[in-house]
Amino acid sequence: MPEKKGCLGCSFPLVIGLAVVFLVLLVIAFAAGPLGSSLFGDLGLPSWLTVPRPDPQLPAETVFHLFGAPITNSIIAAWITIIFLVGFSYVVTRRMKLIPGRLQAAFEFLIGWLYDLCCSVAGEVNGRRFFPVVATIFLFVAFNAWLALLPGFGSITAHTAEGEAHLLRPANTDINMPLALALTSFGFFWFFGFRAIGIRFMENFFNFREFLRGARQLFTGKLKSGLSGLFTGAMTAFTGLLELLSVCIRVISLTFRLFGNMTAGEILLLVAAFLIPWLFAIPFYGLELLIGFIQAIIFGGLTLIFLTLAVESHGGEAQ
Amino acid sequence: MRRWGAALRFIGVGWFIGVSILLGVLAGLWLDSKFGTKPILVIVGLILGLVVAFYGVYRMLLPLMRSKRDKENN
Repeated sequence: MPEKKGCLGCSFPLVIGLAVVFLVLLVIAFAAGPLGSSLFGDLGLPSWLTVPRPDPQLPAETVFHLFGAPITNSIIAAWITIIFLVGFSYVVTRRMKLIPGRLQAAFEFLIGWLYDLCCSVAGEVNGRRFFPVVATIFLFVAFNAWLALLPGFGSITAHTAEGEAHLLRPANTDINMPLALALTSFGFFWFFGFRAIGIRFMENFFNFREFLRGARQLFTGKLKSGLSGLFTGAMTAFTGLLELLSVCIRVISLTFRLFGNMTAGEILLLVAAFLIPWLFAIPFYGLELLIGFIQAIIFGGLTLIFLTLAVESHGGEAQ
Repeated sequence: MRRWGAALRFIGVGWFIGVSILLGVLAGLWLDSKFGTKPILVIVGLILGLVVAFYGVYRMLLPLMRSKRDKENN
């Protein structure tokens, strides 16, 4: 067996050469960037070595108006994600083969993994029902995050009525997009709840039946059982209201989790690229790849958990 | 694959606690400044936020506790 020389699939001279080039680039970038120039003073390096100071903006910028409605840069990015997902799915599934090629195998693995996740959390029957919602949210969030990591994504600018604006902006960093996704998941929570339990689903939130029965008993003279009925009835009504509040807070917590994580990641990348230009941001890019995936799993998975809670909420306990 | 459900339930808990307590306090502060009842409504909001946080976490983790109890009983 021939002995393998080198490391990382390259021969030693190549690896050493690349390492030296990387190191030199890092040193030059460090000296040219704001961090180095604050340490060593101005070294008189050319100005094209530095990266302009980032100015992250919280609200999305309007790029143009369509039929009077403002189209912001995050909407354009979301459209690109949608077009990409639709096109990609079409290309992959256009000629399905029994023995899949590379692309089809990768896609089948991803979809199969998500499907197994749904079935393992919600059970076979409900998992099948929840799968489209969960998978759509997962794919949309993940590809929105990954699209934003493409080179040149944040550096294209457009002339607008209000001056220069970025043409594209990661859709997850505009708070309206996470809010819309969270409201979608909220809507499906009610939809599946009513579908599984019917109008009795509302009893989870507004349960005054016991309270009214206690009051009736009190009026008909059964004082003791009436009072205890009133007390337990008040408790059930109160927990119902708590349930309603916690459902509403879930929407806000879903929204801010995605928005906060994505915006922080975007600002981290900008600041890393600004402080030490070029190579320093690369590890953070890897981190952001991972975070985009994790946030997508969290958003899709929590939607799945909430839908499961909806169909198995108190009705499931009675069974 | 079985463990994913448990993991996802735990992931949701952290932000939920934070957001519910924060919202209770913020709502209390806002109502206080509106009605001029300086410390009372903040305290009410804080307690309500804490109760909602506890109850929501209890509801989210209830299936886990139940399955653990079943395992111990068997």
